[in-house]
Amino acid sequence: MLNIKTYHKKKIVVVFTLCFGVLIFLVGRLGYLMLFQSDYYSQKAQELHERERDIKAARGKIIDATGKVLATNKTVCTISVIHSQLKEPDKVVEVLSKELGLSEEKVRKRVEKVTSIERVMTNVEKEVGDRIREYDLAGVKIDEDFKRYYPLDDLASKVLGFTGSDNQGIVGLEVQYEDVLKGDDGQILTMTDARGVELPDAGEGRLEPVAGNDLYISLDSNIQKYIEQEALKVKEQKSADSVSVIVMRPSNGEILGMTNVPEFNLNEPFTLNVDSSSMSDKEKQDALNQMWRNGCINDTYEPGSTFKIITAAAGLEEGVVSLNDQFSCPGFKIVEDRRIHCHKRAGHGAETFLQGAMNSCNPVFIEVGLRLGVDNYFKYFEQFGLMDKTGIDLPGEAGTIMHKKENVGEVELATISFGQSFQITPIQLAATAASIVNGGKRITPHFGVEVRDQDNALVEVCQYPVGDQIISEETSKTMQYILENVVDGGSGKNAYIEGYHIGGKTATSQTLPRSANKYISSFVGFAPMDDPQVLVLLIINNPQGVYYGGTIAAPVVKEIFSNILPYLGVERDPVTEAESETN
Amino acid sequence: MNKAVKKQDYTLLIIVLFLVGFGLVTLYSTSAWNGQVKFDDAAYYFKKQLFATILGVAAMYMISCMDYHIFIKLAIPGYIVSLALSGAVLLVGDSYNGSKRWLSLGPLSFQPAEFAKLAVILFLAYMISSQKKKHKNFFVMCMVMVLVLPIVALVGTNNLSTAIIILGIAVIMVFISNPRYLPFIWVGGGGIGFIGIFLSMESYRLERLAIWKNPEAYEKGYQTIQGLYAIGSGGLFGKGLGESIQKLGFVPEAQNDMIFSIICEELGLAGAAILIIVFMVLIWRFMVVATHAQDLFGALVAAGVMGHIAIQVMLNVAVVTNTIPNTGITLPFISYGGTSVLFLLAEMGLVLSVSRWQKS
Repeated sequence: MLNIKTYHKKKIVVVFTLCFGVLIFLVGRLGYLMLFQSDYYSQKAQELHERERDIKAARGKIIDATGKVLATNKTVCTISVIHSQLKEPDKVVEVLSKELGLSEEKVRKRVEKVTSIERVMTNVEKEVGDRIREYDLAGVKIDEDFKRYYPLDDLASKVLGFTGSDNQGIVGLEVQYEDVLKGDDGQILTMTDARGVELPDAGEGRLEPVAGNDLYISLDSNIQKYIEQEALKVKEQKSADSVSVIVMRPSNGEILGMTNVPEFNLNEPFTLNVDSSSMSDKEKQDALNQMWRNGCINDTYEPGSTFKIITAAAGLEEGVVSLNDQFSCPGFKIVEDRRIHCHKRAGHGAETFLQGAMNSCNPVFIEVGLRLGVDNYFKYFEQFGLMDKTGIDLPGEAGTIMHKKENVGEVELATISFGQSFQITPIQLAATAASIVNGGKRITPHFGVEVRDQDNALVEVCQYPVGDQIISEETSKTMQYILENVVDGGSGKNAYIEGYHIGGKTATSQTLPRSANKYISSFVGFAPMDDPQVLVLLIINNPQGVYYGGTIAAPVVKEIFSNILPYLGVERDPVTEAESETN
Repeated sequence: MNKAVKKQDYTLLIIVLFLVGFGLVTLYSTSAWNGQVKFDDAAYYFKKQLFATILGVAAMYMISCMDYHIFIKLAIPGYIVSLALSGAVLLVGDSYNGSKRWLSLGPLSFQPAEFAKLAVILFLAYMISSQKKKHKNFFVMCMVMVLVLPIVALVGTNNLSTAIIILGIAVIMVFISNPRYLPFIWVGGGGIGFIGIFLSMESYRLERLAIWKNPEAYEKGYQTIQGLYAIGSGGLFGKGLGESIQKLGFVPEAQNDMIFSIICEELGLAGAAILIIVFMVLIWRFMVVATHAQDLFGALVAAGVMGHIAIQVMLNVAVVTNTIPNTGITLPFISYGGTSVLFLLAEMGLVLSVSRWQKS
């Protein structure tokens, strides 16, 4: 047997020293990983272990002036599969495809996907979710959730709007009052093992959801239902493209009803109300956007003769015209080199300003416009708030499309004075006309009244203060008088109801291009005229056949007034009633 | 030949017993989740390991009481038996996780590759110490190396990592037996060049390198990155024994190669560093035993065991910390594996036996 030589010992020590060095290096490497990289890796590991489960907060309700719930929530289920917990995948595929009405392949694809948790279907009716739960399948998870639900389907659809897949508002009041309605989602924080199974003793953090607040609005579902009916009726009778109605309180701008027929079903907002089978995806999206559009605020139009209210108010306020000023209408008026016709080609002959207003005589208003001059006229536009948006609490309000002041000559001035050659939104016309007759104070049209929490405690009163005095009370009184006369014996006589002091103004405007011979026929009415409590604006877009506002729009407004005035408790004039009895 | 019998190396014995005990505790903690999930028995792996450990401690005790010189006679037969077993496993072995590495005998299963390490240590110790005065001949030493290539090839067929360990042990033993340094540097340089060519020949081997550089970008880097998450989660003092979350299925088969990462997560840098220091002390004791051995055979046996343990500890820690590309190497005494712990303890018995026959 050989003995150990010194060099053997030396080499053993060399090997040991090398190993020792490598191990020291590895300890250093460990130190680097565990001290300097620790934050990075432990963060990553934490993300891997933690499962955050959101608990959706219930969205607040939208409640109308009568206390009726217009938008609320319904419990629906989300069905998911946890791959690692599945025991009978074939049975799961069979049950889920049967209960959810999905193809087996589609479900199989989800079930066989290797993820910690895979969503199979969302927005499943609660009954279906309960049925699936009863199969007691391992690895199938049924989470309950809220879905927005609109009990009245299509009532005020364009005002209310709807919510998207994450329960966020997309259009209408739902998006405008998102912060009020949405509430704060809660959260469950759990630790899981690699299979996604929650660890029993790892402390579970839980943040309770806070339900959203309820929004109380001024819209009255009874009035809304009625104006939708009337609008649909006239739309069909006149084969119109669309009909818009706004019902508003002139004194404070609260909107009682607003419709653009056809409305759409809020519970199926992505189902078109026209045949869509031949449309491309883009066409479908455009059609959907069109369907959701609220013409009362999103679109502008040439207001036509209803705008004479503004011209008259400005003229009276400026003192360039008074009720008994004499005018003469030969059927046209020459402005610069243009001959601008009156709607009555034969002319109205000699008439006072009041009579001119009752006749809706274009030459009279052209004269008033010219007397005002560009500077004054635009001063009043600013003063009336016509150049700004109304500030209504709905998204997407369109602005006024007006000539640039420096481009306005006499011809433009003349056309503006009877409401043509520029565009405003229906809500802008309603708000401005209301401000002129309510004693002269600019109002902001709005729906929101107050916000209450789930315990019905008042959280916030929506503030829409009555704004600037835009004309004097006296001018406002004069305007009330003029407009009542328009209905009593002028172009608006078809809106006359015995016993009510109704005022108003008709309009018939030709849309661009003029050659298409398309018209917009409208009427704006107020009642009672001595203390206006309700304004109704009706716009019929592209009626077929007779298209005069006084003939087709005024009678509809009369119908609406005769129904909603008693409903709103506006009393008939007893004197007039006595008169009518004697008649 | 039989000189006065000294006391065996108690420091070594205590360290080995500590490692075995610590290994069992860690193994139970690490494998409980896997055992529960796969076999409905949290102690499934622990029980098997405990059985092998008891056998191993008994073997260690018996061998430590024997005169290690009787293994001179057993060296060549032992080597032939290991060749036979390694060949047999290729024909009739059982597969687990896609590798054919186990021989079954009734309820017991056995991994011939673990036995091969011990057989090679004894075989080389005998071959080198019996070469009489030819140690200075580098060529003769290379011939000795050639003798172990059959077992390296047989084991390497389906267990490349163990083949590398066997080759490493052989290189260390030949290095110790020869007084020269320069040829080994040449061989080392050549070996590195060979590895380079070997790797670039097949794209899947290069992929392993790419995964090593950026494990987060590859699906196959999953095990590595989960190990790093565990290590990084530990911080200075760890989450506490038993508190690892990564062992709950995130690190696959956490009780096997990656067990060190769970130790880091639970015991922190402090615990992990102490464990490495314990291994260093163990290797130091091997060195002491080897340098004080009565004869070259004893010295080479102790040095071979030193090489074996050192290589496995270094490679395991290096793999777990992603210092080198991933290859499956277990941590001695700690990782799960009955055959491994049995033969490791047998090797400890050998070294303890050598320690009793020291020169004064």
